[in-house]
Amino acid sequence: MFNRRHLILSTFALAAFAGAGLAHADQLADIRKKGQIVFGVLGTDEPNSFIEPKTRQLVGYEIDIAHAVAKKLGVKPVFKQISVAARIPELQQGHVDILAASLTHNKERESQIDFGLTHFVTGSKVMVRTASGITSLPQLAGKKVVTARGGTQETNIRKAVPTVEVVTFENTQQAFQALRQGKGIAYVNDESSLLSDYGKLGPAAKGFTILPQSIGNEPMALGLRKGEKGLKAVVDQTLRELESSGAAERLFNKWYGPGTRTNFAKRSFTIHTDQI
Amino acid sequence: MFFDPTILQSGQYHDWLVQGLVLSIQLTIVSFAFALPFGALLAVMRTSSFALPRAIGATLVEAIRNVPLLAHLLFWYFAFPELLPESLREVLYANNPEVVCAVIALSLYAGVHMAEDIRSGIRAVPATQLEAARSLGLGRVAAVRLVLLPQALRASVPPLLSQTVNLWKDSSVATVIGAAELMYQAARVETASFRSLEAFTFATLAYLTVSLLISAAAHLFQRRYPVRTA
Repeated sequence: MFNRRHLILSTFALAAFAGAGLAHADQLADIRKKGQIVFGVLGTDEPNSFIEPKTRQLVGYEIDIAHAVAKKLGVKPVFKQISVAARIPELQQGHVDILAASLTHNKERESQIDFGLTHFVTGSKVMVRTASGITSLPQLAGKKVVTARGGTQETNIRKAVPTVEVVTFENTQQAFQALRQGKGIAYVNDESSLLSDYGKLGPAAKGFTILPQSIGNEPMALGLRKGEKGLKAVVDQTLRELESSGAAERLFNKWYGPGTRTNFAKRSFTIHTDQI
Repeated sequence: MFFDPTILQSGQYHDWLVQGLVLSIQLTIVSFAFALPFGALLAVMRTSSFALPRAIGATLVEAIRNVPLLAHLLFWYFAFPELLPESLREVLYANNPEVVCAVIALSLYAGVHMAEDIRSGIRAVPATQLEAARSLGLGRVAAVRLVLLPQALRASVPPLLSQTVNLWKDSSVATVIGAAELMYQAARVETASFRSLEAFTFATLAYLTVSLLISAAAHLFQRRYPVRTA
């Protein structure tokens, strides 16, 4: 039965809900008032955010970006370690202000939260035999490409080059061996593994080239609560300034560049968009 | 849905699985076509009255039979082509090396098993048959071809058909060298759609159906042509 008491209760509930909404209508003002901003981080994902064993300090690529955002806001950064699965709920429930937690920006999540500018792009890459003369993905059309079975690589390369002929093996090492023996013209693997495979080639490496284009991009971005335009504007502005000043490039090299464990030769992306 | 039969009835996944089934059948037929004469040759060598062909036959049978099929496939795909001269290797790599190497491995593996079945068949033919043929004026080769082998093969048909069922099932191992047969395509459907239940149900039923068809053919053959007792 629906009586007057229910009506009153639900009106109160609605009012409380609207009030809560109003109170958080400007997260940016709240953060400035409190003088601190809470970042949800993983703290276990080197080099994005992890505890440096010697100093016991939380450091990483995304930690540096978070510091830059806090500095721009003129507030103190607070880091809260959260689990991978809890990231979006923690943000939605207001336990953290921003997610800096190796968060992939994808279409499914766009309905739940907003994203800052993409600050890192990872994904699969393609290694080709240099003698094939192939320098870009479209040239792989109709060619035989080898990769491991069961991962996202086959799907990604077919999406990138629909007419490609894919032969898959039980594991990446067999696929890599097939490439080395010339059974395929190209080999697909995720970027960091591909670089490590390349390293194993030794002097034979000059016979192989890694194409610069990524396939199956996984753009990473900071996560924000939906509709917080003020905060998002500051976050995006911070990232744009990092990019234009060259600081973003330096951060990349510090955590991912040559000589690091990941050892990427160079950055394949710039920070410029929140579109995927 | 727990089990969605529609992906097996039409669409892309259906096409992949059917392509895989067709290649599996082709692999079996082509390998059988090579394995049977190879097996017959080995069996004749092994029952020869000369020591050299006997030794070669026995060596080949033991060397091939005592290596697992998986190792065979990986050897013929990853190692054997490296031993070929450059030009031959290029020809092989330009012509679907996955399928070619699968046929080589399956033919040899099925061939030596068939050789042993045929050898048993040859031994089941009384020695007097060959002596009679020779005394009627047939040459050594003609006696074997016209008198010995037809009787031996007839006696070998039941185990040979059983080897054919094995060959059909063994074709699934070709997936490890990237030959796009039925198991390969089932795994591909699983990767693309996460519908492993449907994909592997299709594969299982397909293997079962074809195996039963071969067994039924064997049964009919035996009814029509029973082994004659000499």
